[in-house]
Amino acid sequence: MDSHALDAIIARYDVPDGRLLGILSEVQEQEGYIPHDVLVMLSEKLGVRLSRLYSLVTFYSFFSLQPVGEHMITVCMGTACHVKGAEMVLSALGKHLGIETGMAQDGKFAVTTEDNKFTVTIARCFGACSMAPVLSVDGNLYGYATPENLPAILAEFGWREHES
Amino acid sequence: MIYGSAGKDHVPGKPVRVTINGRQYRAEEGETVLSVAIREGIPIPHLCHEESLDPYGACRLCFVEAGKHGKREMVTACTLRVAEGLEVTTDTPTVTKHRAILLELYLAEAPKSEVIKEMAARYGVMKTRFLKKMETDDPLGGKCVLCGLCVRACTEIMGAGAIGFINRGPYTEVNTPFLEPSADCYGCGACVKVCPTHAIVMEDSGSERVMKSWSGTRVPLAQCDCCGRYYAPKELAARTLSALDPQLERELAGLCPSCRGKQIAEREILARQGGAGNHA
Repeated sequence: MDSHALDAIIARYDVPDGRLLGILSEVQEQEGYIPHDVLVMLSEKLGVRLSRLYSLVTFYSFFSLQPVGEHMITVCMGTACHVKGAEMVLSALGKHLGIETGMAQDGKFAVTTEDNKFTVTIARCFGACSMAPVLSVDGNLYGYATPENLPAILAEFGWREHES
Repeated sequence: MIYGSAGKDHVPGKPVRVTINGRQYRAEEGETVLSVAIREGIPIPHLCHEESLDPYGACRLCFVEAGKHGKREMVTACTLRVAEGLEVTTDTPTVTKHRAILLELYLAEAPKSEVIKEMAARYGVMKTRFLKKMETDDPLGGKCVLCGLCVRACTEIMGAGAIGFINRGPYTEVNTPFLEPSADCYGCGACVKVCPTHAIVMEDSGSERVMKSWSGTRVPLAQCDCCGRYYAPKELAARTLSALDPQLERELAGLCPSCRGKQIAEREILARQGGAGNHA
């Protein structure tokens, strides 16, 4: 295959769409969420319609349009975790942090505490079903979570009982 | 050019014969079964079909049974290209059963749509067993079936991309980014025109066009220099004129279509009379 033929293949894949998710996820990584003005700026820089970017950002549960807290807690609500009582873990978490977790059924759900310390969201499966129910805090996985052992996990991230 | 594939010169394909409901029809290779059926007046229900856009197969209502040599399968007529000897049946008991269930789902998705209610009634579906989508502040008035035609017309035909799908699954909706008035909207009304369930609300109010369904986006209208009527979205009128007839004089460019027509006719008559006078 000569250089020309290779260029032809590359050209077919040289569409802005192919790199959108990568760019968006790096923005999310650096900012913690996708700020409104950044999305507008990105649309101008890439020449991609804002409606297209907004569709992507609202489609994937990975992206957040709302600012998130210092620590990100994700509670797994997959089948195994659900069976092992993830619902109870989530509502206990809400109680400890003083936030409403009632509407946690949508993947786009994320609630942040008033002091901006914690954001709680859910995921459908971590692939760690053997340790169900699982939750992750800032990417660290915690297995066999129970309403009882939550305070110990939260304490690692600076949470105190009286704060809630 | 603003227009996409619709404006391209048509190159006729190879002639083929296709059998629909036992009758033979002439068609061109590359045409879809749905296009042939529409031309021949054969009723196949459909929502997401639009001649000026590529086949999409979103609404699934145009399901037919089709095949060759007795081997048959269920396919959407809008995505099925005709081929020599293709046999199509538009309403077998299986097809009818599937359409009835689809329509029942659509009754739940767009409970306020008269178009859907009428379509469903034709298949004997008067009510739905599924949970109805009942939102009080839905900008599309409970009539949207999420076929995507408005989004595609806005993006692919107009090149505006003012609206898009938001969220996913049962929370999917169509609107402007951040649910804010869109600066990309031309106010052309292509979305309104292609919407199969008449869900999109657009209203002209004085010198502005208000896209009520699209987060109250407001687009300034151009006023006719002669009769004072507001006749088209300002930016769109300018763009269209410069694309179609860049040489058009300023004097004519500021007129609404009917005044422009009158003006041109008057000039033509004057010129002829003048010409006749000169010769006399």
